[in-house]
Amino acid sequence: MHNLNKFLGMILFICLYGSCKKQQHIGFGLENANVYEDKSRKTKKKNDAEYISILYTNLYQSPISPNQLYKTQNVLYSIGDQDVASEMLLSNYFNTGSIQMPTNILMRQDIESFVTNTYKRFYLRYPSEGEKAFFKQYITKNSAVSVEMVYTAFATSDEYQYY
Amino acid sequence: MNRKKFITKSGIALGGGILAPYILPSGRLFAKSGSQKADHVVLVMFAGGVRQQESILGRYLEDSQGVFGAAGNIMPNLFEGDAPTKKIAYGTDVPGMPDGSEPIPKLLSQSMEKSGLLFPEVKAQSAGHYVGLNTLLTGNVGYSQGLKVRPAYPTIFEYLRKHAGFKATDTWFIANGIGNSTPLLNSSNHKDYGLNYGANMFAAPVTFSSYGKEILGNSKTYSRTDLEPMYFMKNFLDQSFALTKDQITSISNTDEEKTRIKDFIKSVFEKQQAGQLAAPPVSNSGDAKNVMYAAEVLREFKPKMLAVNISGVDSCHSNFTGYLKSLHRADHITGWLWQYIQNNIPEMSGNTIMIVAPECGRNETPNPILDQNDWVSYDHSDANAHRVWSVMLGKGVPNLRIGAATQPVGRLTDITPTIADIFGILDPVTNAGLIDPLAKSLYNRI
Repeated sequence: MHNLNKFLGMILFICLYGSCKKQQHIGFGLENANVYEDKSRKTKKKNDAEYISILYTNLYQSPISPNQLYKTQNVLYSIGDQDVASEMLLSNYFNTGSIQMPTNILMRQDIESFVTNTYKRFYLRYPSEGEKAFFKQYITKNSAVSVEMVYTAFATSDEYQYY
Repeated sequence: MNRKKFITKSGIALGGGILAPYILPSGRLFAKSGSQKADHVVLVMFAGGVRQQESILGRYLEDSQGVFGAAGNIMPNLFEGDAPTKKIAYGTDVPGMPDGSEPIPKLLSQSMEKSGLLFPEVKAQSAGHYVGLNTLLTGNVGYSQGLKVRPAYPTIFEYLRKHAGFKATDTWFIANGIGNSTPLLNSSNHKDYGLNYGANMFAAPVTFSSYGKEILGNSKTYSRTDLEPMYFMKNFLDQSFALTKDQITSISNTDEEKTRIKDFIKSVFEKQQAGQLAAPPVSNSGDAKNVMYAAEVLREFKPKMLAVNISGVDSCHSNFTGYLKSLHRADHITGWLWQYIQNNIPEMSGNTIMIVAPECGRNETPNPILDQNDWVSYDHSDANAHRVWSVMLGKGVPNLRIGAATQPVGRLTDITPTIADIFGILDPVTNAGLIDPLAKSLYNRI
């Protein structure tokens, strides 16, 4: 009887030991990858509300209020040449002085980075080598060119109207 | 030089000599079809739906409300005829008197009827506002015209820019608001014309409103030196993105024109602030404000063609007294605008033709809505709503009255070919095949 108990105890031990496996730790994750727009795929025009909201958030780094958006939309719609309307809106924004943008000194310290960042900020894409070379050369050669001028050119450009 | 070369070169030189004068700034070659009759045209779209009875027929309350002996002309600047003497409610308020009992004094020494060409009974192609406005500006009947879309057929602005080579700031549309598709009237979406040839536009009561000022009025005034690099960089970016023709959604001005328009907007806000805007003696209506801004555009740009839209009379749907007041004021501001051009814009004085026409009429039978005077109101949907008039005056326009209530002459689609005729481009406009085949220049209706 004692041997039988011993035997059963051993069987039980072997079964328990054999049924357990070492826990495996499996982890899933994503590698960091930047996703940027492609100029050729921007075929949809932003509507007025989208354009104004995106522009405002881009420049002030905070959302526009619904009331302000409504008023701005109406005023832009009331002018035939949308470039004129956008340029005046922007220039009005720049006059507020609270726009989040780099200083002119910072721009000139590293023009290449400034150009790349501006393309990313407005167009959500990297500049091509040709685009980079154009801006680098133009800003370097023209000491009067300011961040405000570059931002105005981007914000009123055709590509910024599309996504 | 051998004979063959000589003949070839002479042929090219001769051809170039003949064609060069007709190659327009727009790059288009056009067949010059007639002599220009004036340098400027102002079209007053006397819109909102105007009944013949209270306008050209001078019936005041006699037909509409059955008030015996209450006929009379309440549009003295446009038409001939004595004012009503009974139940005066269309004028300005005078303390201690019933509302509207003081008619606004006539501004013009001679009515437009007396000094121009009047078509008292014209057929409107539509009883609706937007299609009617389309008819005035496109010369097409617009039966298939949808709302909230640009005109399906080219506007007179596009014809003028394409065939007469006018620049964007030569053509203006002053809309009275941003509702009812009105701001879309500055250009069609026609594939052969479209926004590339569209007119500049302000929906003036919005652009120059208090919030227009808040959004645009504080903009910086950039110097030319500042603007050049901005436009240079923007042009580089735009060329790099290269929009196709069907992606263009706005009319475009040259960089110089854009700067001028921005300066103009700022100057209007400044004048507003200083109380220096020219205004008609009675300017307490939305229509009056719109005409004031049209006058500012005329003074600044001296455009070849400007169309201004007014529509206060549409209150007739529910308020007949308001309608009469608006009609009387519409006459007042139209007279004022003509007078302003003659007295304040020397470049246009004596060299402008003004055309005035409603976009549709109003019903013969009323709806049951009563106003404060217990007068019934009128919509626009029956045959009477297809009855309108047109007046034209100015440089070289004969003083004639063509047609009568029993003998209609002309269609509202005539306005576009008439303007084309004034600028000498009637043939290319007609040959484009996009206007009403029954439309004619009013000069050819005489």
